[in-house]
Amino acid sequence: MQGTVLVVDDSAMMRKVVLRILKMADVEFEAALEAGDGNEALVLLRVNKVALIMCDINMPGMSGLQLLQQIKEEKLAVGVPIVMVTTENSEPQVRQAILAGARGYIRKPFTVDHIRNNVKPLLAV
Amino acid sequence: MPEASTLPKPYHVEEFLSPATLDCADATITEIFSMMFGFDTEVVNTASPCMPSPERGERTAIVGFSGAMRGSCQISMTSQAARSIASAMLGGAPIEEGDESINDALGELCNMLAGGWKNGVPGLSSECALSPPTVISGRDYKVHMSKPSVKVSRIYQFDVHALYLTLCCEDVEALPLG
Repeated sequence: MQGTVLVVDDSAMMRKVVLRILKMADVEFEAALEAGDGNEALVLLRVNKVALIMCDINMPGMSGLQLLQQIKEEKLAVGVPIVMVTTENSEPQVRQAILAGARGYIRKPFTVDHIRNNVKPLLAV
Repeated sequence: MPEASTLPKPYHVEEFLSPATLDCADATITEIFSMMFGFDTEVVNTASPCMPSPERGERTAIVGFSGAMRGSCQISMTSQAARSIASAMLGGAPIEEGDESINDALGELCNMLAGGWKNGVPGLSSECALSPPTVISGRDYKVHMSKPSVKVSRIYQFDVHALYLTLCCEDVEALPLG
């Protein structure tokens, strides 16, 4: 797969898990960037081109939903699929994320198949 | 001033003390351990509500609930068990004792457990928020609540290790302590 993936999660362990599972699901990238919250992600997005963003919702500092709003406002990562990866799966929160620009939603815990079925199709578009 | 209809419907202690609370915890634990770590889990002690805290492990992670329910989800285990969780999360990679990723893994496990549990309880999914996890090393600590609270506890076995789970719910209708 061409390009760079950005994984945003306040847990360094979960960032590693997401990258490992992406690889296991045959979603491999040339490079990976990691951010511990929305603010760090914005700094990276202003200077890097990415092909996929995997983003947690509940993070201290700037949350995943606030990051989606800011990406939209600054017109960053236009057309790049953003997939929320979170323990939250309430309908209002999913709707809020989709309205704010997320293209996919994966609930933790997740498997290789969840990533394969929900992330790969977004990259094929 | 928010409209009354926007306030979450309080979750009551009576609902929390129903068997559904631990049934939901069992299902969540089974799902997380099989999907993320490749471990089978088994309940080794079916504790009754309001019992004293089970024996504590050397490491504890706590996630708070707010909104319709105020309380906490606590998990506790030995350092070796936490190391085993961290290693399993990384596909079996060796983890050195003292590696910060051990606490990180325990916090994430508690976060997934708290989230999975409240998502499975009718009325809590969208009406209850989670705090970021806090991880404590050592056994000598106390968790103080602002109101009287009830708790349910259970012990699970995974691999050769034990996980102590305590779910705590504040009584929303009680007066503050003190």
